[in-house]
Amino acid sequence: MSLAESAGAGQPVPAIEGVGISRAFGGVRAVQDASFAALAGEVHALVGENGAGKSTLIKILGGRIRPDAGQVRVRGAAVLLNSPHDAHRLGAWTVFQELTLLPAMTVAENLLLGREPRGRLGLIDRRAMERDGEAMLAGLGIHHIDPLALVQDLPLAERQIVEIVRAITQDPSILFLDEPTSSLMEREVAWLFGQIRRLRAAGTAIVFTSHRWNEIVSIADRITVCRGGTNVGTFTEIGEDEAVTLMTGRRVGSQYPPRPPAPAGETALAVRNLSGEGVHDVSLELRKGEILGIGGLAGHGHRELFFMLFGAQQPTGGEIRLDGKPVRIASPRAAVRTGSGIALVPEDRKTEGLLLAMSVRDNMSLTILSRIASVGVIRQATEQRLCRGIMEMLKVRAAGLASPVGALSGGNQQKVLLGRWLLADCRTLLLYDVTRGVDAATKHEIYELMTRLAGEGRSIMFYSSDAEELAHQAHRVLVLREGRIAAELDGTGLTAEDIVAAAMRDRAA
Amino acid sequence: MTNNVSRRGLLQAGGAGLLAAGFTTFTLPAKAAGKKPYRIALSNSYIGNKWRIEMENLFKAGLLMEPYKSDVKGSWFNSGNDVSKQSQQMSNLIAERVDAIIINAASPTGLNGIIRQATSRGILVVSFDNVVTAPTALKVNTNQYKFGQMGAEWVAEKIGGKGNVIMVTGVAGTFVDADRNKGAEDVWKKHPGITVVNKFTGMWDSATAERNAAAVLPSLPQIDGIWCQGGTDGVLKAFLAAKRPLPPTAGEGENGFRKFMTGYMGQKVQGISIGQPPFLVLISLELARSVLDGSRPKGDVEIPFPFVTTDTVKVGETVFPDLPDSFFADFTDSGDNATVKICVEAALNGTACAGRLNVVLPKA
Amino acid sequence: MAAPQAIATRRPRLAHAMLQSAPLLLSLAMLAASIVVYCAIYLASQHRLPGGFELTSTVNNTMPLAMAAVGQSFVVLTRGIDLSVGGIIDLTNAVAAVAIHDSPASMVGWSLAILAIGALLGLVNGLLVAVGRLQPILVTLATLSIFQGIAIRVLPQPGGAIPDAYGAVLANVDAPISLIYVALLVLGWRVFRRTRLGVSIFAIGNDEPAAAANGIDVRRTKIAAYVLSGTFSAAAGLFLAAAATAGDATTGNSYTLTSIVAIVLGGVSLFGGRGSAVGGIAGAFVTSMIVNILFFSHIDPLYQNFYEGLFLVLAVTAAAGIGHYFRRRA
Ligand SMILES: Nc1ncnc2c1ncn2[C@@H]1O[C@H](COP(=O)(O)OP(=O)(O)OP(=O)(O)O)[C@@H](O)[C@H]1O
Ligand SMILES: [Mg+2]
Repeated sequence: MSLAESAGAGQPVPAIEGVGISRAFGGVRAVQDASFAALAGEVHALVGENGAGKSTLIKILGGRIRPDAGQVRVRGAAVLLNSPHDAHRLGAWTVFQELTLLPAMTVAENLLLGREPRGRLGLIDRRAMERDGEAMLAGLGIHHIDPLALVQDLPLAERQIVEIVRAITQDPSILFLDEPTSSLMEREVAWLFGQIRRLRAAGTAIVFTSHRWNEIVSIADRITVCRGGTNVGTFTEIGEDEAVTLMTGRRVGSQYPPRPPAPAGETALAVRNLSGEGVHDVSLELRKGEILGIGGLAGHGHRELFFMLFGAQQPTGGEIRLDGKPVRIASPRAAVRTGSGIALVPEDRKTEGLLLAMSVRDNMSLTILSRIASVGVIRQATEQRLCRGIMEMLKVRAAGLASPVGALSGGNQQKVLLGRWLLADCRTLLLYDVTRGVDAATKHEIYELMTRLAGEGRSIMFYSSDAEELAHQAHRVLVLREGRIAAELDGTGLTAEDIVAAAMRDRAA
Repeated sequence: MTNNVSRRGLLQAGGAGLLAAGFTTFTLPAKAAGKKPYRIALSNSYIGNKWRIEMENLFKAGLLMEPYKSDVKGSWFNSGNDVSKQSQQMSNLIAERVDAIIINAASPTGLNGIIRQATSRGILVVSFDNVVTAPTALKVNTNQYKFGQMGAEWVAEKIGGKGNVIMVTGVAGTFVDADRNKGAEDVWKKHPGITVVNKFTGMWDSATAERNAAAVLPSLPQIDGIWCQGGTDGVLKAFLAAKRPLPPTAGEGENGFRKFMTGYMGQKVQGISIGQPPFLVLISLELARSVLDGSRPKGDVEIPFPFVTTDTVKVGETVFPDLPDSFFADFTDSGDNATVKICVEAALNGTACAGRLNVVLPKA
Repeated sequence: MAAPQAIATRRPRLAHAMLQSAPLLLSLAMLAASIVVYCAIYLASQHRLPGGFELTSTVNNTMPLAMAAVGQSFVVLTRGIDLSVGGIIDLTNAVAAVAIHDSPASMVGWSLAILAIGALLGLVNGLLVAVGRLQPILVTLATLSIFQGIAIRVLPQPGGAIPDAYGAVLANVDAPISLIYVALLVLGWRVFRRTRLGVSIFAIGNDEPAAAANGIDVRRTKIAAYVLSGTFSAAAGLFLAAAATAGDATTGNSYTLTSIVAIVLGGVSLFGGRGSAVGGIAGAFVTSMIVNILFFSHIDPLYQNFYEGLFLVLAVTAAAGIGHYFRRRA
């Protein structure tokens, strides 16, 4: 594992470069004197902890926000980017971490926003737009996304793909991809990397961020590590442990904690022949103290299954038993209150979980208000203590409990959401892709936390778009395909490849 | 207008295809007039204050009393202060082919179009209180200029032709407000000793008048007289709250004001209470009835304001200590030449009083 | 190239279109239903069906509201709100009463000038909202009072004489000529939806930061929305003046609220980005139908407001419920 600084002088002019960039939000210095350069025809990874300033730096280079200090250069010339539009004109396109698709518009409308085909009288030709949208998707090998569907009806992974398609069909000379893989499955990631390689070969400068080290290794030509808002080194080759040490300033143990022994205890949650929209005849059992992994390709009923167990969607048939007793979960509120309690940490934190304009504290204590209130008035000291405890446990990086969640980095938002459900103290936890967009060190903490919670006898049902994670964390993995359980895999000795293989084995097999 | 004309109009406008179906009757057959009972509808704009409620109650009570009980089949509608809605309701009344429509309009001009359509179809339109400008509508009202003049003259005389007065005006943009102000201002001009030290709107509403008076009072010198278009009791309450003596006051017919005239809250005010009478609706009803049965030619009616002063106000007749301040105590006329005499229950509940209702219209 | 697995369950185009314009279809259905109920009640009480007079007067009475609703739609679609609609109608109505005279040149010239005034008033709102970054509700509440104040200055007392010829064009009492304007509005809206501005208005109503990230000029779009709102409010002012052949500087006031009611009935989301001005027009006609239905059902006028409120709540709830049902089925 050689640690090689890339040579400084005598290099070609970078396609895009930020020099001495700083940007603060109120008191928070998101980016501080950071310098970064990406060359044409390279994939340059930007890595760092949650809140290290990666997204902020990308937003500055992509024209979305303006730096307080520093200079942006495109192909050697200093430029002033006042809006994304300015960046677009210079050939720089960005897939932002928090997606920027317009929810109530169709996929085609989103893909062609700002470059709609015109018909007579210069009016937008809707038929041509559908055609072009479909052609764009098909041209990139995507046939399963309906160009006429509304974006708000798509699962997150498909939205992410649409957003990526929109950027790469602009023929960018500079492309920023801010955590594009966080909600994608293996196969979709492979598709994306294929696209990235193609663009790289065509001379595009690609900046890529991810918290999954294997992805970084497989695609990046160079890696820049960020910490605390600044760049701490750029490498052509670096090992994971070194990189993590550099990101965090401390040593972090190996990624996956030892799995506790599989429990043989009683059944906490039993599902019999559950059917409904997207879910067909699913039966499963979740024991106390068990971590049950749910795997499979996105869009195959995971989301619906989790929603049904949480009462956010109603099944049309089947039975759910909690601690042996049949229950009907009419709403999320009921789920939290049913027996020992069921909690769901949802996928899309922006629309399904967090109240972005409200404070970290308010977001965390939302489900436990009745518990910490006396005569309807919230006991502030208790609230403060509980929230602070969770915040420290999860290492949420925020200016304070009072800062609005919308101001946190993506990974930190995810932690707040997780914190809420930890506070709620439910015995059954449905974790839906909780490590999405979470940095390596925190992921490790979440794994440890899961192990600990399971050790305490809580049951965890855990979906992840990262098969690697499932393979290492779960006692058992159920693979869903087209809404049915396609395989049940035992955790010991399980590999990510096994899960992917089970997910993709065609129906005949 | 005939079908041919309308059709041609459509063709010219290029919309014949669009409007292909269904318009065979653009005019309604003329109504066979002169058959009792007459169908008379009251189209009121908004019903948000006590005055309007009393007015509508009087109308309902009137319909229950002879001669209206047998001569008239009445109905009433409110539209809020929404011209389109009132216009829509009037269209429906036209479609129903009523004999007469009595209106208290949301706008003096906004209904002119529909009024013209009503009268051209032989429907009698009588407007009162907030009267309309449409020439084909009959108007029943008081002389608002005289309201302003009468009150101002009384105040001027009481204060001996000199001193400071305030003017509390009404809802800007209405004829009533403008005419009342003009009546008062013409009087002030004749008395160089009188200074109008402030002029603010009370919106004909006691709460608003009180709030606005309270806001301006601290900045004002001694005030010798009040001239108020409405919300009079509110203005006086603001004076009390500011610990100012109550000067001679010309105001509206609010029960609260009249209570002050007989002694209220430890104060007794010298005053003249001139009311826009809610019984204008009964005058309009009588006018409609008598025009329809041919006993009176078409023509506008103006009635004098009923008024009382501190010297003439009478408990149980023109002031009611048990009723709220916001009640309009001028629901009935008094004295020998009274135009309308009706009981308090009629104004309060819309129930009939004993006997016949005798409405005396001024000579045509 | 490895592609994500295909799960080809495409919905046909028509199904998509139906689903995506469900709120609009619901409002049209609501309109159809209210017309049927009206005809039934009318038939029961008058023993004949409503004819040309009823159609003409309903259309004429509803035109100003339909115009105001279209104007309001533009702003609400950007996730704003325009409370100054009433003030703009007041002011333009007042100017019309004072300015329009009996010559064709005066009628055409002043009509255009008054529309321009409306646009200008909208521009004031737009600048304050988009450039001044103030809350739309505050800005337009303030300008509402200001415009009302100026209107009273322009026309202190109701009056003025709008030539009959003007009324015959905009609010003809003998034939429902105004239906042509409705048709033009619908057509115009469909064209507008296919312009860059149309797309931008929907985009910023959907998600303003996302729209900005996509290179849409948020400021210019918002300003344009308020300008359009002002222009259509001015058109409403002209229609009112034409119908009354006179002006009144206070007649517009009620339109602030009723225009919002109309677009909500029409399925325009107050949270922006979803809806259609055509729905707003339908909503305007639904409110007129409600007035008619209550009239001919001869309920006690004292309870009229109650029933009107009840109808609105039921209508909106039913629409939301049906919409929800279909979304879940789909
Ligand atoms: N709009 C904002 N207002 C206030 N603070 C902000 C804002 N945007 C970012 N920050 C803060 O700036 C810091 C850097 O955030 P940024 O989103 O760039 O991190 P990141 O490296 O992308 O993290 P992640 O991996 O979690 O996405 C964080 O502490 C965040 O709270
Ligand atoms: Mg980020």
